[in-house]
Amino acid sequence: MSPTRKRDIKSSARILQAFILLIWIVMFGRLIQLQIVDYEKYAPISKQNFIRQDFVNPARGLILDRNGTIIVENEPIYSITINPVSFDMSKIPLLAKLLNTTEEDVLDRVTQAQQYSWFRTSRLFTEVSFESFSNIQENIWQLPGIGHQIESKRHYPLPLQASHTIGYLREASLEEYRSSDRIRLGDKIGKSGIEMVYEEYLRGELGTKYNRVNAYGQALGLYEDSNLNNSPTKGLDIITTLDAELQVLSERIMENKRGGLVALDPQTGEILSMVSTPQYDLSRLAGRLDSDYWAQINFNPNTPLFNRAISSRQPPGSTFKPFMGLIGLHLGLITRDTEIYNSGAYYRGRAYGDLADPGDYNLERAITKSSNTFFFWMMDRIATRGYLNQWSELAKDFGMGRRNFIDLPHETVGIMPDSTYMNSTFGERRWGIGDLMSLGIGQGMVSVSPLQMAVATASIANGGFRVQPHIVRGIREMDGSINYTDPIRERIDWIREDHLQIVQSGMRGAVTDGGGRWYANLPDIPVAGKTGTSQNPHGENHGWYIAYAPLDDPKIAIAVLIENAGFGSISASPIASLVIEQYLKGEIERQHVLEYVLNFNPWEDIPEDSDTEESAAEEVLDEMEAQP
Amino acid sequence: MTIFKELNWVLVFIWASLTAFGLVAIYSATLGPVSQFLPAFIQENFMRQLTWVALAIVIIGAIQFTSPRTFQGASYLLYGFATFLMIITVFFGTEVSGSRSWLRLGPINLQVAELMKLATILAAANYLTSRRDISAENLKTAFTALLFFIVPVILLILQNETGVAIIFLALLPFVLFWSGLPHGISLLMISPAIIAYFSVIDWQYGLIAAIVFTFSIFFVQRRHWLTATSLIVGLMTVIGTEVALHQVLQPHQTARIEAFVNPNLDPQGSGWNIIQATTAIGSGGLTGKGFMEGTQTQLRFLPEQWTDFIFCVVGEEFGFIGAGSIMILFLLLFFRLINMATHHKHPYAQLVMVSVAAVFFIHFTINIASATAIMPVIGLPLPFISYGGSAFLINSILLGICLNFDLYKRSFSIYS
Repeated sequence: MSPTRKRDIKSSARILQAFILLIWIVMFGRLIQLQIVDYEKYAPISKQNFIRQDFVNPARGLILDRNGTIIVENEPIYSITINPVSFDMSKIPLLAKLLNTTEEDVLDRVTQAQQYSWFRTSRLFTEVSFESFSNIQENIWQLPGIGHQIESKRHYPLPLQASHTIGYLREASLEEYRSSDRIRLGDKIGKSGIEMVYEEYLRGELGTKYNRVNAYGQALGLYEDSNLNNSPTKGLDIITTLDAELQVLSERIMENKRGGLVALDPQTGEILSMVSTPQYDLSRLAGRLDSDYWAQINFNPNTPLFNRAISSRQPPGSTFKPFMGLIGLHLGLITRDTEIYNSGAYYRGRAYGDLADPGDYNLERAITKSSNTFFFWMMDRIATRGYLNQWSELAKDFGMGRRNFIDLPHETVGIMPDSTYMNSTFGERRWGIGDLMSLGIGQGMVSVSPLQMAVATASIANGGFRVQPHIVRGIREMDGSINYTDPIRERIDWIREDHLQIVQSGMRGAVTDGGGRWYANLPDIPVAGKTGTSQNPHGENHGWYIAYAPLDDPKIAIAVLIENAGFGSISASPIASLVIEQYLKGEIERQHVLEYVLNFNPWEDIPEDSDTEESAAEEVLDEMEAQP
Repeated sequence: MTIFKELNWVLVFIWASLTAFGLVAIYSATLGPVSQFLPAFIQENFMRQLTWVALAIVIIGAIQFTSPRTFQGASYLLYGFATFLMIITVFFGTEVSGSRSWLRLGPINLQVAELMKLATILAAANYLTSRRDISAENLKTAFTALLFFIVPVILLILQNETGVAIIFLALLPFVLFWSGLPHGISLLMISPAIIAYFSVIDWQYGLIAAIVFTFSIFFVQRRHWLTATSLIVGLMTVIGTEVALHQVLQPHQTARIEAFVNPNLDPQGSGWNIIQATTAIGSGGLTGKGFMEGTQTQLRFLPEQWTDFIFCVVGEEFGFIGAGSIMILFLLLFFRLINMATHHKHPYAQLVMVSVAAVFFIHFTINIASATAIMPVIGLPLPFISYGGSAFLINSILLGICLNFDLYKRSFSIYS
């Protein structure tokens, strides 16, 4: 008999059933383990799996000028996304046609997306035109796996840059992300200018929504418990003190020059216009990073990212003289009538040159004609009588050599030397009168920013008040009300009205009879000003000009620095005068000055052999007039 | 009237219950609240399956009016026909996700391997019950029977359907065991699969399994040559598995096989299916999340959830009560079929019934063990539950034939 016969069918069946039961029990045990024992472990996993917390970016606040004109707004960027797993490869030609590109390009990007992830959505095309975006939307039904994403970028509708004032946005760094719970990785935040300083207000509140998603990350609608969802809060609008029209002009006339310009309301410290040139194009830094352009502006030898209006510091040159006069009057070194004879130079150890005509000078005339002797004489007294530190303190009261707490980053302190500074620079007692004399005419160690000069000029204009320069006038709250900023304005207590009058008329004279008479004098607006030239041992001198107008009721105070442009009277002062004219009259009547300024290129136009401000200016003017 | 009275209604009840579970799960997986994200042809799966169920009912009914001898008589013919179709499929089949296993016959796509399964069971049973000389010393018949299985396995490998080929390989020990293959050799036949399984988890476990098998085989059948063979086969399996995993296979293939041991090593890749499947089942808890409420299912975290991972759908939406019921129904099915075999007089009917039970058991084990991360994922459908017309129809026919044999167990005997 064969074994089959020997073996009982029943026992075979039992063995088989036992085997099946054994394996079945293992699997049933596993089911109990998963569903009963480990339920607590898997239930939350499945919940996290399908609810995705999505963030909704708030619209960033607008930036407006003082009259409500929009300077910075938001513009949507449309991106086309792809979910490779649901995408139909045969639709590539259609997609290429809709996006107006080649099939190879699309295929290339689809392949990249697939390599990134088959299941996760990624960007296929970023910043497509609205037309392409609409084309895609119309055909979305035949493009499975294709979606879109709308983000926003900054848009600058006006023909003005104000790049340093407004500032640009960049993705937040890891440290910034860690230091704030409102910033997520990849978020763009303000990195300079108003965008940076007022980030907190402009940013708005992130909204969250809880989407139900499937395994491919497709959002299938909001999670039922909508209490969890909260919509984003729009960022607050910033109303700046800038006058957009004035800013357009000042940028236009500062073009092709290297320097800084600050115009402010002398009564309040509101900055009407501020320019630093060369500028950079904010719109090229909006949206996706243009790394070529970024490298270009970072490594440009003219340092366009550097804000010359508030960060650069240069000796103020003769523009320092009016303040020197006020200090001298206060210290009792001089009076209104003190006259000092200018023989062509002031002798103290060596000869200190003076280009002004020889003769007797009182303070007013010394300012008007920019005689150096008067101020060398005064500095000599200050140095020898040990007034240096007091002098420094008094000068700082004007805002020079100290911070003025403008609401913009990178404000320079400047240098207003005192004995401590001299000690640390030259060493204890290793400096003497020779190092101090040039301070009297704003040369040497002293250095200031255009902003500081504008603030100082405002103090003369407004009757001795120190104002806090500021760029933001107010913040428009959600309810439409405006929350105005509260800048400091305080009287500089030692300045006397009668002293001011001397200096003011000296500065008025400088415009009518002095260095400002060619370009700075306006026919129907009384302007007071002072030119200056900052000696530059490394190259061509820098031109300075400070001014305010109208004389009796000042509405604008301005300081202009043009680097390597020679005398302030031919470089900085025409620019300042045009800004004043535009602001006070609303238009430019002196077209010849505008034309001169627009054609003035400091690297070409400086006459090489001119040795006085007057002759240089006259030569330039002659040239201008000679041209048809 | 006799047929109605004599029909094995328990088996019909099991079939109907499993089918109903399947339809509910397919409906939920393909027509849930957010099914608009699924391709249109998948949303039609439920209606198609319903059509197949209707067709299956008709065919099961028709089978009951057929003589059981018809099946035995047609065994070889059917086997030849199925083999012919398989060969055709190798060359002219429709390629679906890398494997060429579908034959397009007019409007319907037929998975020929399913028909091959039926043909192989019937033909092998016919051959084995016509010989009665299987013994440990004389394995000629057993080797000849092996050919019935090797042919479809080769054709399936050519079709790139190794998953289905495993069914035929796994069925063989069951068939031979029932046909009288000595216990020791039967154990030896199943040992490589189990040793390999443990070797994938850890080669030391594999070694332990190999030693346990060697002792068991020695205990069951005290023949030194068999014991030695067992030890050699066991060690070769452990070494072979290690070599295959770390030398032969590509790292991603190895990762896929080993993923069930620690799916979190690669949660986005090879571990994804396993994590999502166990999460679906585990989060179902005792009572489940409710019909069409399963987030893992509805939001498509599970791949192929209407076929290979359908058990997860039931587990998530109907919890332990639902999934456990399915497991119990299957256990009843296996036991019922085997009991039916023991009560049948005709060896052919016995072997077919046992083979059918074994085929269902293999499908059941591989499908559920894959879904519950007991073993590497092998994509095989769960009988009567998973979507798939050919499989459902053939499985129903297999059951219908068993019903038929049971129905005619008095008239269909060796004596008549």
